[in-house]
Amino acid sequence: MSNDLIKQYINHTLEHNKTPESVYLFAKAVGMDEKEFYNHYSSLESLEADIYRIWFENAFSACADSAPWTDYSSREKVLAIFFAYIEEAKNYRSFAVYLKDRDLVKLPRWPKYLNELHTVFTEKMKPILSEGINSNEIQERKYLDEKYVGGLWLNFLFVFAFWLNDNSKSFEKTDESIERSVNLAFDLMGKSALDAALDFGKFLFQNR
Amino acid sequence: MEQHSIPSTKVERAMRFVKTGAQIGGNYIKHYSKKMVDPSISKDRLHEDNAEDVYNALSELKGSALKVAQMLSMEKNVLPRAYTNKFALAQYSAPPLSGPLIVQTFVKQFGKTPQQIFDTFNMQSTRAASIGQVHEATKDGQKLAIKIQYPGVAESIKSDLKMVKPIAFRLIGLSEKEFEKYIIEVESKLLEETNYNLELQRSQEISMLCKHIPNVEFTKYYPEYSSNKVLVMDWLNGEHMEEFLKTNPSQETRNKIGQAMWDFYDMQVHEQKAVHADPHPGNFLMNANGTLGIIDFGCVKEIPEDFYYNYFALLVPEILKSDEIVNRIMIQQQIVSDKDDKRTQDVITDAFIRMTTLLSKPFATDEFDFSNNDYIDSIYALGEEVTNMKELRESKEGRGSQHALYINRTYFGIYSILNVLGAKVKTGQRNWKQTLMDYHLKTKA
Repeated sequence: MSNDLIKQYINHTLEHNKTPESVYLFAKAVGMDEKEFYNHYSSLESLEADIYRIWFENAFSACADSAPWTDYSSREKVLAIFFAYIEEAKNYRSFAVYLKDRDLVKLPRWPKYLNELHTVFTEKMKPILSEGINSNEIQERKYLDEKYVGGLWLNFLFVFAFWLNDNSKSFEKTDESIERSVNLAFDLMGKSALDAALDFGKFLFQNR
Repeated sequence: MEQHSIPSTKVERAMRFVKTGAQIGGNYIKHYSKKMVDPSISKDRLHEDNAEDVYNALSELKGSALKVAQMLSMEKNVLPRAYTNKFALAQYSAPPLSGPLIVQTFVKQFGKTPQQIFDTFNMQSTRAASIGQVHEATKDGQKLAIKIQYPGVAESIKSDLKMVKPIAFRLIGLSEKEFEKYIIEVESKLLEETNYNLELQRSQEISMLCKHIPNVEFTKYYPEYSSNKVLVMDWLNGEHMEEFLKTNPSQETRNKIGQAMWDFYDMQVHEQKAVHADPHPGNFLMNANGTLGIIDFGCVKEIPEDFYYNYFALLVPEILKSDEIVNRIMIQQQIVSDKDDKRTQDVITDAFIRMTTLLSKPFATDEFDFSNNDYIDSIYALGEEVTNMKELRESKEGRGSQHALYINRTYFGIYSILNVLGAKVKTGQRNWKQTLMDYHLKTKA
């Protein structure tokens, strides 16, 4: 039922080129009691937030059900999820573009309707990152490793925003941006010059 | 080997080339300072240093830059040997696509993952192609090769080619005008290569025409699983030349393979007037039973009629004897122009004829032994001499027809493969000279 509601909400927005102004107006437009609406969502914002969460859940299960998933390294899992999310969002690109223009998003802040997505994203990424730490693909760094998931989230927002502005044929540029930004993120999280720099910094601090 | 960072933006790539330019400059300084101490030092060492730096720069790039590295490696007539050996390596290494991107490419094109389409699909690529990579798969018991193109190749070609420019000037010593002339040709060919639908169509045409040539093998394509980014074909057995030679094949086998290659090209050039113009070792698979598998029809050069008659006429000794016809051809082919003074015309014509006579040596006999290193070396030597000729260097004109670029590249490619293979080939079996003689003698009258 909430899926139907989402479809109606998106259609309504696209056809009127405007999001409904109140629950009352939206419920009336789709021929439903306002009370009935509150059985599903508490507000229009919570419905919007749910849209992006559902895309992510769909993308994640599409990846986790596919054959190579278990053989993937952490890096590849993250890549696969990013690709799948964009693929999923493609079905409603016009809607996503509309919301972007409505709210004038400026990274690294993100609009309210991505809050739910942020929660699931963090929840799903954490195990993948710990897997990476266990397999030594990702370097464990005190204090800093708690920030990894936040970094990936910013990476994700960047890719999503890139896609919303992408004019290339079949969004090839977005594919490249995913491949390159995720590789960079994992190169940074892996053992690198950064560790030597931190180590050196610590040494200087202790031997002042 | 998985490469970790690919210089991604245009600026980064440009920086890469600037760095290389600076390094080459440094190599020259090193060379000349060494030479002051020890005058006997040859230029070989310098060329090797340069080629190494250029190769290192190019190998960090994908797509068209890698392709241009291949092109340069084929232009053996103008490049000293030290460069080309290095560039030959560029044919085998390219950073691979990630697994998820491969899956993504399939989902985009066919709405299914490769695992859903095929019975098995190896996520590790087995062979690299210049603008993509090759994966192994099976379906219904048939082993398949699946070629997947890197995303965004077509778009990066133009900017890449612009950045190859400084290298082209430094390495090959091309002038601005020559470069412009060639680059249009190269660009259009490279863009064609990114269209896998076109490759599919061409490979079917050529294999149709050439299938009766003994010992040449073609693969079967599956149009239903192919798109402009993905090509699916039967897996061809065989090894690349370098590995094949490690198995110490007999002289007879080498000759058989060499003959197959020669016949394949003879057929295309003189019958079809369109030629598989990418004869680098990565595109051929050799088998112990003496068969030659041909893959990658991305680069096919159509030979225009009038170009054919003029270019190949210079390979016919009888035609070379007539100054008048030679002069006409030289002007037609834009090798000399009316604007040149008589002396320049003579010097350039003479150099060109010497070059052509040397190059057409295999055509002049019934059988030719390509294993002779002296022959290949003399081509390099003359090539270098011609490049350094004052008359050519100071000339502002772009000389030579742009069609010649791919045809020359094709023949140098064939010669050097046959040389490394050490094959003795019957070169005089097809009688194409008569047609050309008739054509030119008729025009003369």
